[in-house]
Amino acid sequence: MAISEAPRPGVESPAMGRTRSDVSGFVRVLQYSAVKLVSIAVAVVIAVYLTILVANMGGYVDQMRIATIKENVGMWVYQAEEFRHLSGAEKRELIDQFAQVQIQALRLDQPFPIRSLRYLWNGLTLNLGYAEGITSDSGSRQVQHILLERLGPTLLLQASASILVFVTALFMGLALSRGYGSFLDRLVVALAPTSSAPAWFYGVFLILIFAALLGWLPFGGMVDAPPPPNKFQYFLSVLKHLILPVAAVFTSTIFASIFSQRTFFLIYSSEDYVEMAKAKGLSDRAIERRYILRPTLPTIITSIALSFITLWVGNVTLEQIFNWPGLGQLFWLASRAVDTPVIVANTIIYAYLLAITVFLLDIVYAIVDPRVKVGAEAQSN
Amino acid sequence: MSLKKWRWTPVFALALVLALSLTVGAQTRTGAWLDEVVFVREPNQAQAITRLEVGDIHLYADTLSNAALFQRVEASPFLTYNLSFGSYTELTFNPYGPEFQDGRLNPFSVPRIREAMNMLVDRDYVVNEIYGGLAVPKLFATNSAFPDYARYAAAATALELQYAYDPVKAEQIISEEMEKLGAAKVNGVWHYKGQPVEIIVLIRIEDERLALGDYVATLLEDIGFVTQRLYRTAAEASPLWIAADPSLGLMHIYTGGWISTAIARDTSYNFTQFYMPQGQASPLWEALTPPEEFVEIARRLEHNVFSTLEEREELFVKGWEYALKDSNRIWIVDRQSFTPRRYGVQVAADMAASVQGSWLWAPTLRWEGQVGGSMTIALPNTLVEPWNPIAGSNWVFDSMVQRGTAEDAVVLDPYTGLAYPRRIERAELYIQEGLPVGKTLDWVDLYFVDEIVVPEDTWYEWDPVEQRFITVGEKFPEGLTALRKSVVYYPEDLFDTVKWHDGSPISVGDFVIGMIYGHERAKEESAIYDQSAVPAYQSGMSVFKGVRITSTQPLVIEVYSDAYALDAELSVSTYWPQDTYGPTPWHTLAVMFSAEASQEAVMSAAKASLLNTDWLSLVSGPTLDVLKRHLDNLRASNSIPFGNFLSQYISAEEAAERYANLTRWYQEKGHFWIGTGPFYLDSVHPVEGTLVLKRYEGYPDRADRWDIFAEPMYADLEVEGPARVRQGQTARFDLWVTFDGEPYASDLISDVSFLVVSSAGEVTVSGKAEYVAEGLYEVVLSGDDTAALPVGASQIVGIVVPIPVAKPTMVPASFVVTP
Repeated sequence: MAISEAPRPGVESPAMGRTRSDVSGFVRVLQYSAVKLVSIAVAVVIAVYLTILVANMGGYVDQMRIATIKENVGMWVYQAEEFRHLSGAEKRELIDQFAQVQIQALRLDQPFPIRSLRYLWNGLTLNLGYAEGITSDSGSRQVQHILLERLGPTLLLQASASILVFVTALFMGLALSRGYGSFLDRLVVALAPTSSAPAWFYGVFLILIFAALLGWLPFGGMVDAPPPPNKFQYFLSVLKHLILPVAAVFTSTIFASIFSQRTFFLIYSSEDYVEMAKAKGLSDRAIERRYILRPTLPTIITSIALSFITLWVGNVTLEQIFNWPGLGQLFWLASRAVDTPVIVANTIIYAYLLAITVFLLDIVYAIVDPRVKVGAEAQSN
Repeated sequence: MSLKKWRWTPVFALALVLALSLTVGAQTRTGAWLDEVVFVREPNQAQAITRLEVGDIHLYADTLSNAALFQRVEASPFLTYNLSFGSYTELTFNPYGPEFQDGRLNPFSVPRIREAMNMLVDRDYVVNEIYGGLAVPKLFATNSAFPDYARYAAAATALELQYAYDPVKAEQIISEEMEKLGAAKVNGVWHYKGQPVEIIVLIRIEDERLALGDYVATLLEDIGFVTQRLYRTAAEASPLWIAADPSLGLMHIYTGGWISTAIARDTSYNFTQFYMPQGQASPLWEALTPPEEFVEIARRLEHNVFSTLEEREELFVKGWEYALKDSNRIWIVDRQSFTPRRYGVQVAADMAASVQGSWLWAPTLRWEGQVGGSMTIALPNTLVEPWNPIAGSNWVFDSMVQRGTAEDAVVLDPYTGLAYPRRIERAELYIQEGLPVGKTLDWVDLYFVDEIVVPEDTWYEWDPVEQRFITVGEKFPEGLTALRKSVVYYPEDLFDTVKWHDGSPISVGDFVIGMIYGHERAKEESAIYDQSAVPAYQSGMSVFKGVRITSTQPLVIEVYSDAYALDAELSVSTYWPQDTYGPTPWHTLAVMFSAEASQEAVMSAAKASLLNTDWLSLVSGPTLDVLKRHLDNLRASNSIPFGNFLSQYISAEEAAERYANLTRWYQEKGHFWIGTGPFYLDSVHPVEGTLVLKRYEGYPDRADRWDIFAEPMYADLEVEGPARVRQGQTARFDLWVTFDGEPYASDLISDVSFLVVSSAGEVTVSGKAEYVAEGLYEVVLSGDDTAALPVGASQIVGIVVPIPVAKPTMVPASFVVTP
């Protein structure tokens, strides 16, 4: 998409009746959307297939898995008392039989290129099917169960933290942009580099202080053990367990986020049209709302939309540190086990969410920002 | 009378009442000591230690081997630990050669070079610097904590001295052999056909083997080899060593590791497993070329081709010698792992598999001196895979929880591996004359007989079409004999005292169904056929000769087989409704089989993958709804599994009661997991990673029944004697054997022996120490003995082999021999 800057924001496009140019504009939008959809679809297919190839090391993982199966079966057969009476040749035959059953069950007897295409097709058609190795915590092998089981905890943790960070950063950024150069402003600028450390880093310290030393909050997990039978107590217990991981995410991102928003608002605050509005004598609130916040909306929407999509992948290390049963831990487990159906499902859902978001964002931009035009019209500007 | 004088009386009275009630409670308590055990998930070992220290958890059921964490536990005033000895480390050599396909030289194709590697590696350095002291040097495949090592400890010690660290000698041998191969040193580097000799060291990275691999590579560089270090995980390394064609030379040395999950009382198969071409289905093993004599020794040991235990000892020690000469792998250390817990937590831990691998953790776990209470145990993972007793999760962490809810007919001694009766009265074992079987405990009567004929009415094989057993008479009209017959007598009151957790009394049906479904799962005509069950079934049938129920009240079961173990206690076939992964009441099995027949949920992972359906779990997940539906159907029809046959053992009333009990249990607990163990599974929280076990009040055994195993009785040994001994003079040494500071009872000691090692490193005298008094043994070296010792520093090594634990205690003491 080509984006062109209109001369001024906040100025409505001239109203026009249904003319020939309207129809051609609609056709342009359709054409643009079709091209965009196709390009996104191609990108999704390529990305997912690349994921399959990378996760399986181009098919080498098959060799690793077959070797591992034979190794494990061999060790088991040789150590098991019930096979003690067999001769060496009989044991070898037994090992081959056991290994063959597992190899067939995992379809490792089929060539990887064929399986890779089936993984791709199943993924693209959202036929998530069954995992090859891992199971959900409740014991299901259905990929959708495996993902859905972990989605709730991840959303709870990541969404709580993201919303908290987003809202705080937005309001603090706006406030600091008004008080540029104040002590608070300088403090935030000074603290912004603290965000270079990841959330798990702060998590470790928070656990040490609030769980190990003070004993005020739990070390990790999602709820007390055993979980309270009463729903309200369960809710309170989850809240208690949320505090430290959310605090870790918050601490690790808040200062950079505030700094970024504040800088962003400052840039827009110094635009000519803002100066013009000030000269016209408009109130600060009206200037903020109409001349600063509105042109920043696309960026804010993009930021929040993308941050919500990234919730899908969870936070691998943070979830490990806090023993939080989320998608991050699941993805780590699936990668270690090279459970391709789970990896593909995770990737395809993320890819679809990203593709849909990118596609919709274009439309949203056009709605919220009058400077944005599409297709040939934009190019002619 | 002054009131002041009596003011403490009520306090004393209260204390007395409390103490008395505690004592009485301890004496009358049945089942578990604890009221509740909560299992939580904690994958992070360091965090687990912190949580233990602050009392957030009370036991961390994992085997840790990190030296820094061990130091933390040792330094903590709140923590203690159990040691276990189940894992060991070695270096595997690629024996192909002398040249690989591409012409590169493989020095390890020469047995003498491999043998010399034993002396090149400083195992003490490895133990202290790499394993932080959490290991013991190892020279043999036999685990030094297992009975076979204890049996032949003196011979083992002599060989250990012979192959002690001697880098000069090792380099000299390697140099000799390299020159014979046509290699030459150029500027301190071995060259072959103009190229430097490069050794590929395949190094596992998950544990201390990373440092071990680097250490070995450095040693080889120091003696003139060029090394290439390949750092790989288990899965990445597999295609390069066990699955690779050794002639390609993808590796020369691999840092291998092995695990024993239980104490093996007979490890004679090790020689075949580790040194013979048929040891593994792997190209690397196929390349092994052991000498003929060694092959024969391995064969005889593997198949018990000897008549006396003395003959076995001779074979075993010879096997060790050949293994060292051949050295297609050299053993480095037996690792010691620790399982941390808070002080005050008392539990029986298996010597090989620690607390989580012990069958006795549940009845012995308690707060010291306390009856009742709750305890929180953290596991690295919980509910790893679906739970079902036949082919469900085999993860040790799941198994630990499952074992708390279950029991078997016998209990394995966690420190020796011997079987003790738990739900059987006694047993008779008939062995064909001439087979090397002995017994230790009184509950088995051992008889040697000329021939064991299998009666015609013995059940041999199940017919899934006709739903009946085919008898030995039908299958083998010419008659059938067996090498072993065991007769197990169950208690008279078995069916009155033992109840499933849902309240159903245990019945003969629970036993008989266990004799059927193994056949059903392996036969294609069956609705529950599972391809993955076939190989093990066929293997079992190759020695199985039949089973016969000679009485149902009391229950008496005869089993005929060609398989036997050296210990009579381990040769008895004991039926109990318990499969590899959990308890098997017939009514739960009926529900599982019904679900499997419909293919809505199947018991094994392999079948689930093949059919693209769900793997059956009795405790959580989508298969619970499936099982509930099938339970409702069975209850409505009141059908008995394999009804044509089993209805003679299970009445319609029993079936109705069982299904009603299971329905009620599911409504109350939300799962189908029922056993007869000291705890029942109260609740399962899969996403939260939490399981709650509660004490089963209907458990018939006294809580203190297995307290004898609460603490391993490792022997402490002190050797006292003269610091100087003149050649030709008599010398006396005292061996003090104690446990917890008290003399070790002599009836609990199998052997006290000694070795004298000269300053030249040779064993000059060995023998048994003489009993003097409880806890005291003496060794007297005669004038001839001391005259044979060269002048210089000598050692006497005392060796104690206790009966209650398999691990021997060996302590050296030095003395100077003067002219």
